[in-house]
Amino acid sequence: MALTALLLVPLLAAVLLLALPSAPATAVERWVALVASGVAAVLSVYVVATRPVVDAPWIRSLGIRWHFEVDGISAALVLLTGLLTLAVVAHALAGPEPTGGSRSTYLGCILLVETGALATFLARDAILFFIAFEVVLVPMWVLIRRFGDDHVADETRGDAAGRFVLFTVLGSTLMLVGILFLVYHQGTSDLTVLATRHGDGLSRGLEIAIAGLLLAGLGIKVPIWPVHTWLPSAHTIAPTAGSVLLAAVLLKMGTYGIVRLAVASVPQGVAALSPVLAVLGVVGILWGGLACLVERDLKRLIAYSSVAHMGFVVLALASGTHTGLQAALLGNVAHGIVAALLFFLVGDLKEQWGSADLRIARLALRDTASRYGFALVVGLGAMLGLPGLVSFWGEFLSLYAAWSPAPGRPVALMRGCVVLGAVGLAIAAGYALRVARIVWAGEGSDQAAGDGATPVRDAHGVRWVVVGALLLAIVTFGIAPHLLLRVSDLDAAALLSGVLR
Amino acid sequence: MKNLTIDVVALLPALLPIGAVIVVLVVDLVTPRLRAVPWGIAAAAALGVVATAGLSLVRADSNGGGGATLCLTGQPGGGATTDRLPDLQGLPATCFWHADALGSTLQLAAGLAALVCIGLAWPRSGARMPGATQAPVEAVLLLTALSGTVVVAASRDLGTWLIALELATLPVIALVALSGRRAAVAGAVQLLVTSLVSFALLALGAALWFTATGSPFLTPDAAVSPGGGQVTYSSVTAGLISLSVVLILAGIGFKLSLVPFHAWTPTAYAGSSTAVATFLATVSKIAALAALLVVVRAVAALGAPALVAVGLLAALSMTLGNLMALRQDDVIRLLAWSTVAQAGWVVMPLVSVSTLGATSSATYLLTYVVATLVAFAVVALTVRESAASGRSLAAYEGLWHRSRWRAGALAIALTSLAGLPPGVIGLVGKVVALRPVVVEGWVWLAVIAAVNAVLGVAVYLRWLRPVVTVTRTSDQPVAATAGPGHRPAIVAVLALAAAVLVVLSIQPDLLLRLLG
Repeated sequence: MALTALLLVPLLAAVLLLALPSAPATAVERWVALVASGVAAVLSVYVVATRPVVDAPWIRSLGIRWHFEVDGISAALVLLTGLLTLAVVAHALAGPEPTGGSRSTYLGCILLVETGALATFLARDAILFFIAFEVVLVPMWVLIRRFGDDHVADETRGDAAGRFVLFTVLGSTLMLVGILFLVYHQGTSDLTVLATRHGDGLSRGLEIAIAGLLLAGLGIKVPIWPVHTWLPSAHTIAPTAGSVLLAAVLLKMGTYGIVRLAVASVPQGVAALSPVLAVLGVVGILWGGLACLVERDLKRLIAYSSVAHMGFVVLALASGTHTGLQAALLGNVAHGIVAALLFFLVGDLKEQWGSADLRIARLALRDTASRYGFALVVGLGAMLGLPGLVSFWGEFLSLYAAWSPAPGRPVALMRGCVVLGAVGLAIAAGYALRVARIVWAGEGSDQAAGDGATPVRDAHGVRWVVVGALLLAIVTFGIAPHLLLRVSDLDAAALLSGVLR
Repeated sequence: MKNLTIDVVALLPALLPIGAVIVVLVVDLVTPRLRAVPWGIAAAAALGVVATAGLSLVRADSNGGGGATLCLTGQPGGGATTDRLPDLQGLPATCFWHADALGSTLQLAAGLAALVCIGLAWPRSGARMPGATQAPVEAVLLLTALSGTVVVAASRDLGTWLIALELATLPVIALVALSGRRAAVAGAVQLLVTSLVSFALLALGAALWFTATGSPFLTPDAAVSPGGGQVTYSSVTAGLISLSVVLILAGIGFKLSLVPFHAWTPTAYAGSSTAVATFLATVSKIAALAALLVVVRAVAALGAPALVAVGLLAALSMTLGNLMALRQDDVIRLLAWSTVAQAGWVVMPLVSVSTLGATSSATYLLTYVVATLVAFAVVALTVRESAASGRSLAAYEGLWHRSRWRAGALAIALTSLAGLPPGVIGLVGKVVALRPVVVEGWVWLAVIAAVNAVLGVAVYLRWLRPVVTVTRTSDQPVAATAGPGHRPAIVAVLALAAAVLVVLSIQPDLLLRLLG
């Protein structure tokens, strides 16, 4: 019951918001959005605590069931989605009317994205998973296309939005082909059964082919280098809510899908392809890091750093060990929290600055807006993987796991990847400090003139609460990562061995 | 023929439109120049088709393999059969009409689509106008084509099948020509020429079928047991049957607008009125696929290998259709090329010559038909508001802002065609269409289909983009006006089609189970 409500509340609220007439902006839409996302947040906590199951027939002819369930793998992501959407909605309501359209459409799209993401994390049927995976596309497209940065030309917005949708659709259709092969040969689309079969009954070649299709498809969403090119433009153009949801929720659907579908159902195929995965992951770490060193747009910089961080997650997955899987899941959540914080901050700053160009000399954030300054420094510290902050554990465990991979993986290659990944960490320190130097310490602020010389209004009210909550999460899980690790521990072990708990 | 059994109720879906044709003609004879009445009669007949096809669906459900009628019960050893039908000896029963679940569902969809077309063609005012009116003629032509569609879905012998298929095609050519615009004649001529070529191919294919099987029936029995002794070598028979199927496929390819037989599609769509274009895009396609499925299901019994030709045609159609649709600024032309692309998706499941392939193909066709109906209804409304520019993509700028319900209907239709939520039925359609390909293990075709899914999304989002954008400059020229003809009929059929689409998106199983 609670599960169904968790999915229906945001969905119905979104439909209501989209159907509302746009002309007079009333308080109704604010309350509908706030109440719906609040209820969904509470329900997500409740659902994670009680672990209910919904299992009803949906499309009988195809054997697709309306089957949703929470387990240790998805619990953290469900919580992240539910709570973060509440933050996004509160943040959006505290800001000005979005440019490019009515607020009700904007909020409706946010809630639709939430519905799709929750359904993806909860789905226990492979084809249902695919359908849920697609739900987020159109609302996200609208968010980028219509509510995106209005400082750039219309074509640029169209290009960014179109690239996002087309890349993702290509990925999900390839994934669908993989799923259909898997389902046809295994005779069921139930993810739990597929996980228990653990690839039994598939020939090795077939398993590799299916794993290849699934990884190629989901890799676009993660994104894995070299199919990451949609991410920077989408992030740069998207409004704050879009960027936050994209980084914190949508990218997680890709890694979650790899774990839930590929690692669980075709383990030998993934094992065979893991050297490729590891290499691509490391190239992503280095590529994203190097791009960050020279990138001039702050939003785009954070987007590239996302590519690097997801590279660590991919590397952890490639190791094939229990530690690696745990590192991937932790790194996933950690990146979700950190990227959300950074995109909230940069979105606010961009709103006031008018652009996020790092070349424009501006007053030091340290002097003008100390709360933003503090939050930014913590966020950047998390970005470079400072111990004591949550992302340290994801990255450290990832390298640790890849150093001693599961039997059958090429140890030398994996260790080489670890060395390069460590270099990537150093690069991360470089670009994080570069941003801190320019924005926080105000390098060159003596030349600030015009808009750059106007002090930034500091975080206050709801926005400060949102930022504060994220800071708290970063530090708490940084000091006590076992809170997160414990949630997924048993289920991760079960998933790797194929033995149901 | 005293062995012939007739079940009138089963035949009603075909008899109703034919009866309505006569009624329209009589009414026109008694009180000429009526405008709304002929369409009213046609609408009643289309509703009747929906109802009676639904009834025979229910009956087929309750008594298993129902829906067959006009059956000949064979007389083993009877001397009389030698000069009649040579293959009837020993066969339990052969029916000229067999409306099973699949056939009845296609009939039902044809009736529904025709109803929407009638709504779109509804005259501006019901009042009697001075001068001639084309309404009765158009209504008669539409009903005739509808009856052809209904019959072809249930026909099981070569003669009826051929005639019904042409009956479903030829009146449409006249409808296109009657649309009155200059471009209409060009479209009609192209359509006529391609129809003739396609008929020639079909007739040849039918002749080969008869040669190979010695049977005038398009049934699995006929395909499996070549009777009459004309052909002794089974390898020759199999070859002839494949050749005949390929020829029939090519002939029907014209009607389905498969590449390379698609050239008439954009011209004919763009030349005709919106209602006729809708008819071409929906009812005609149902007729063509219904005809193809009759053959495919007959051949399926042979356990025929997957047809490379089908896969190639499907891949070509999807790719070319999508690429061309990407370049169109006229929404009717865009929909025409989208038809070409979707036709590729429709035949793709038939690479697996089996019941699974046939059902999947029909499922995909019906999702396409419903979504296309909604899109065309929105176009018809927009054309009504601004006749000059209503067909350009620019006319849809800010539609979301101006009319939320209409924009919502269009969004669901386009996302269904693209295969994205909220058009879940389109997504399920893609899943269903890919399944037989996967069963046959054709990875290359599946990957081409995946790439085309992306192209398709690009095509439909290109249309959806102006719908959701608000540009300040474009608000004035296409401001919402009640226009020269505020049309409740169009709104009604739009609401009907959109409601079907929404219900199917929430519970796709309704459609899938109808088809068995």
